[in-house]
Amino acid sequence: MANDPIHQFRLHDLAGPVNIAGYEISFTNSALFMGIIVVTITGILLLAARKGALVPGRLQSVGEMWYGLVDNMVKNVLGEEGKAFFPLVFSLFSFVLVANMIGMFPYFFTVTSHVIVTVSLALFVVCLVVVVGITKHGLGWFKLFVPHGVPLAILPVISIIEIISFLSRPISLGLRLFGNMLAGHIVLKVFAGFVVSLGALGGIGILGAIAPMFMAVALTALEFLVAFLQAFVFAILTCVYLNDALHPSH
Amino acid sequence: MAKPRDKNDSSDTKLDDISSRLKDLGSRIEAEKSEQRAVEKPSTKYQGASDYSKGYRLASEFVAGVLVGGLVGFGLDKLFGTLPLFLIVFLLLGFGAGILNMSRSANRNPPTAEELRNIPKPDDDEDEDK
Repeated sequence: MANDPIHQFRLHDLAGPVNIAGYEISFTNSALFMGIIVVTITGILLLAARKGALVPGRLQSVGEMWYGLVDNMVKNVLGEEGKAFFPLVFSLFSFVLVANMIGMFPYFFTVTSHVIVTVSLALFVVCLVVVVGITKHGLGWFKLFVPHGVPLAILPVISIIEIISFLSRPISLGLRLFGNMLAGHIVLKVFAGFVVSLGALGGIGILGAIAPMFMAVALTALEFLVAFLQAFVFAILTCVYLNDALHPSH
Repeated sequence: MAKPRDKNDSSDTKLDDISSRLKDLGSRIEAEKSEQRAVEKPSTKYQGASDYSKGYRLASEFVAGVLVGGLVGFGLDKLFGTLPLFLIVFLLLGFGAGILNMSRSANRNPPTAEELRNIPKPDDDEDEDK
């Protein structure tokens, strides 16, 4: 049904169910759009870098701004030794940004509106923080959970709270992106649905449909802002968390 | 001996002049750069981007803390078969972690490169407290 606001998030197999060892690994519309995202990113960046002109053209300056934004972010938060993480942060930022933007097209699937995708990305980041922290600082990295200058009596409680706070990072990082995209798309669809059903009434209904129509247009603009902002926040929080791996004292 | 010396003197004054001009130029470039940095700074901060996203961020930090606390407690209960005990304790601890998350992300500015280079040693904190 065209008016069902949840319908847009439905997964369906594109090539029939595929089962391997009891797990279903079918090629779904989500997988298709992930492929489209990767092809889009690669295509845009390759086209942007093709000329390499001294005075950049339109597409090349888009590519340069894209690169420069992430480069600045990594430099500001992680410093010089964070250079090694630039490819990771750039890939994450690009994937989330293009996934959100592609989701803004009507009838397209929004990959980041599924909690499994966003939390997987976030879990990957936090696991990386643990691995990098332990390889860089050895067991001394666990001092992150033992704040300095806390009385010994309440130290165990504080440590547990710090550990829970650390464990909640992938949840909050993933849920935020998922929640923003899901809520935004549902609200957009609901307002668009108002326009259609009020307009179908005819007469006064068409007059009444004007208000939700303007609302839908305004929300579309807001959604573009949110799509960019959430990708940016995802990337910068990745940097902030990686900073904990590099400099555990806080 | 005197003649070359004279020459030297004059070139010395010239050199001094040039070096002082160089220094002047250097300091002017530095001032210009720091001015630029001050102008550029706000754009790299994600804080001022949008109040909506700020509110959403704080809410999700808090919810995540409580959620993870509850999950950890429930897991421990399943492990030891003491159902309500750890769930209650860890829900409360998760509440604390949520508050901690929130206060941290509310106060967090991405540190600049200079701030990272001179992170205060943990011992400095106590002096500041006094």
